[in-house]
Amino acid sequence: MSTLSALFAISIFPGGLFLLSSGLLYEWGNRKLLALLQNRVGPRWFQPLADTIKLLAKEEVIPTGTNKFLFIGLPMVALAGGLTAALYVPLAGLAPSASFDGDLIMVFYLLSLLTLCMGLAGTNTVSRFSLIGATRTLTQVFSYEAPFLLALLGVAAAAGSWQISNITAYSGQHWLILTQPLGFLVALIGLMGKLEMPPFDAPEAHTEIVAGALTEYSGRGLAFFHLGKAIELVIGLTLIAAFFLGGLSNPLWFLIKTLALLFIMVVLQALLARLRIDQTVGLWWRYGVLLVLVQWLLMVLL
Amino acid sequence: MDEKKNVVQEVMDGLTNWARVNSPWVLHFNSGSCNGCDIEILATLTPRYDLERLGVRLEASPRHADVLLCTGAVTRQARERLIRIYEQMHEPKFVVAIGSCALSGGVFRGCYNVMNGIEEVIPVDAYIPGCPPRPEAIIDGVVKLLNSLSPANHQITVADRNDKPSTEKAVEE
Ligand code: SF4
Repeated sequence: MSTLSALFAISIFPGGLFLLSSGLLYEWGNRKLLALLQNRVGPRWFQPLADTIKLLAKEEVIPTGTNKFLFIGLPMVALAGGLTAALYVPLAGLAPSASFDGDLIMVFYLLSLLTLCMGLAGTNTVSRFSLIGATRTLTQVFSYEAPFLLALLGVAAAAGSWQISNITAYSGQHWLILTQPLGFLVALIGLMGKLEMPPFDAPEAHTEIVAGALTEYSGRGLAFFHLGKAIELVIGLTLIAAFFLGGLSNPLWFLIKTLALLFIMVVLQALLARLRIDQTVGLWWRYGVLLVLVQWLLMVLL
Repeated sequence: MDEKKNVVQEVMDGLTNWARVNSPWVLHFNSGSCNGCDIEILATLTPRYDLERLGVRLEASPRHADVLLCTGAVTRQARERLIRIYEQMHEPKFVVAIGSCALSGGVFRGCYNVMNGIEEVIPVDAYIPGCPPRPEAIIDGVVKLLNSLSPANHQITVADRNDKPSTEKAVEE
């Protein structure tokens, strides 16, 4: 019986099917809202799905000079990392299907796995655009990861636990956005950096370095990376909504809160222009870290 | 058993075809045009026409693209690059020749340094005439190309295209 429920958790809810479809729908929401802000009609609701199926059905070529094993394996690891992380977060406002003390740290690492895999995938090919993209991706990881981690750990410290289910139980009673506004700000913008959305899209700047680390990818690999990003969007939104916006008590609140967060992110994307990679690093280490440290100081003092 | 497999196969084929028609990512290559056609292509991609509503996305990497939007009469220098980009694209791939130059050489026809059109170099799937063609014409040409993919119409296969590099003109105005 428990095997059956585990299978259900992995393949239908909250892993697998539910996660993939919600990831695709949130990606559509992101693109559609962005289009509306730019005075466009925007993509149809099935657009991310059509893109994914098309990519899956496309021919796959392994470029010369790459390690075949890594070339095929990295996208799978990236997607698997995202799917595994979903088991530990309170998706749709329901209790996470697995949980242990300290799972917050593990979810962090699983979410970074996608970016690390993209960086590795870029360095694995001999294309110079991939290499530049990979360097930028990895540079960016080192700039936003620390502030992002500190911002979310602030919540963990307030709740006195490193377990996501305990933290959400605590944050369900307290709107932490009121007591930790700086942490919220840094976490939200950190998520944008994680997803390489504008203004943090220097790693895949289409107008400069073709498509960044994924230049040589096509077909299945590209589809997996795209899916991984879509999933990470949902998981990141869930985490931030659950931590800062008064918890996720039921699916309706989940929808309202994550969509509100998504809307803020879209407005920021539409407003801001791309930062150069050195500006990104400067922003995070000069202001991001400082903001979080001020937040921590306030927490200690008050 | 055999029949069942065919049904599954059909559903899968239908699904992939639907996805292909609804998600053409385009790559833009200038093989020596006067830039008039390129400006029209860029105009086509602006919010005014908003091709994202048809699923079109401008990709910068040949590896990601499905449709090659090609302009210009192909100068001898651009020839090798054009072939290389075409070969870097992954199957299934389609080529749309945009502008009179891309169709036949246009005003440059007969010059010592041009190949007189894209179809002299790589197989072309759709032709969009005009000097330069309006954005509406470009959208119309791409949509016609995509519609020709659905199984009800003539299906362009790889073998087909290798047989006859110059298929009949998809767009005639
Ligand atoms: S068709 Fe006309 S506009 Fe287009 S490249 Fe040729 S001369 Fe220029």
